[in-house]
Amino acid sequence: MIATLTQTTPWTDVFKTTKGAVYQSDEERCWYVDFAGKVAKFDHRCLLKLRKAVYHIDIEQALLNTTKDPDVEIIFICACDHCYVLTLVQIIALKELLEGTFVMLELNHILHDKLYA
Amino acid sequence: MKDLLRIKSLISTEIESLLNQQIKKEAYSSSVYLSMASWCNRNGYDFSADYFFKQAEEERTHQLKFFKYVLDMGGNSVSPDVTGIKQEYNSFREVFEEALDQEISVTNSIKNIYARCMKEQDFVTMEFLNWFLKEQREEEYKARRALELFEVIGEEGTGRWQIDKHVGDIKYNSEA
Repeated sequence: MIATLTQTTPWTDVFKTTKGAVYQSDEERCWYVDFAGKVAKFDHRCLLKLRKAVYHIDIEQALLNTTKDPDVEIIFICACDHCYVLTLVQIIALKELLEGTFVMLELNHILHDKLYA
Repeated sequence: MKDLLRIKSLISTEIESLLNQQIKKEAYSSSVYLSMASWCNRNGYDFSADYFFKQAEEERTHQLKFFKYVLDMGGNSVSPDVTGIKQEYNSFREVFEEALDQEISVTNSIKNIYARCMKEQDFVTMEFLNWFLKEQREEEYKARRALELFEVIGEEGTGRWQIDKHVGDIKYNSEA
């Protein structure tokens, strides 16, 4: 179901870390999230749902959890083709990536406001 | 790079989430009023029960106004869970005291959203909220006036019966 997407339209870098990157395609009005070995396409709604899902994971609680269950979280987003199965370290990295992305999108919004308003 | 988030929605995610909290609050208020109507009816205060039925209906209308606004602006309205509604009250007076508390809390919450809108210069949502601020004047006035009846009529003798009879007549006709 999940195929690695290849680039057909020009992408703009939004935010990059050593673990992953987020690109924006103006033409397709969507974002591509390069993380955990795959590039996944997210529209506006799905990206916000992904952010909500990742921000809601209680990392501290998972670290303090002493049960024998594996430290793996499944991030499943309703009405979205993608699903992530991530370890705690990866979740921290994805959270960092998304936080950076939304700061950059906010900055872009401010620039648009100031330049074109 | 296009501002894709802005293209999709007029309101910011912060304002959207505050408005969704308000939707929940209005739904909660509506349910609380319904429970007050039930208590009043059970205890023989039929006029007050009617008054609270009307209030419950009004709060529901407010909830839908917020709900539709968020959707119209390109946001996501969340249909709220409403739980923990108090079903029993110790006295007739307590019902009205809690009704006023409820309205004060709604006013404060709308003021908070307004403050956030000012910070973000979201004039569109501010204009939308103006109607609610005016509405809260009426709501708080009515709740406060109902409590005043307890003072001016008194609860002794047939006092509570008199209060119940006059609750339905409370009107707010300010020209201001």
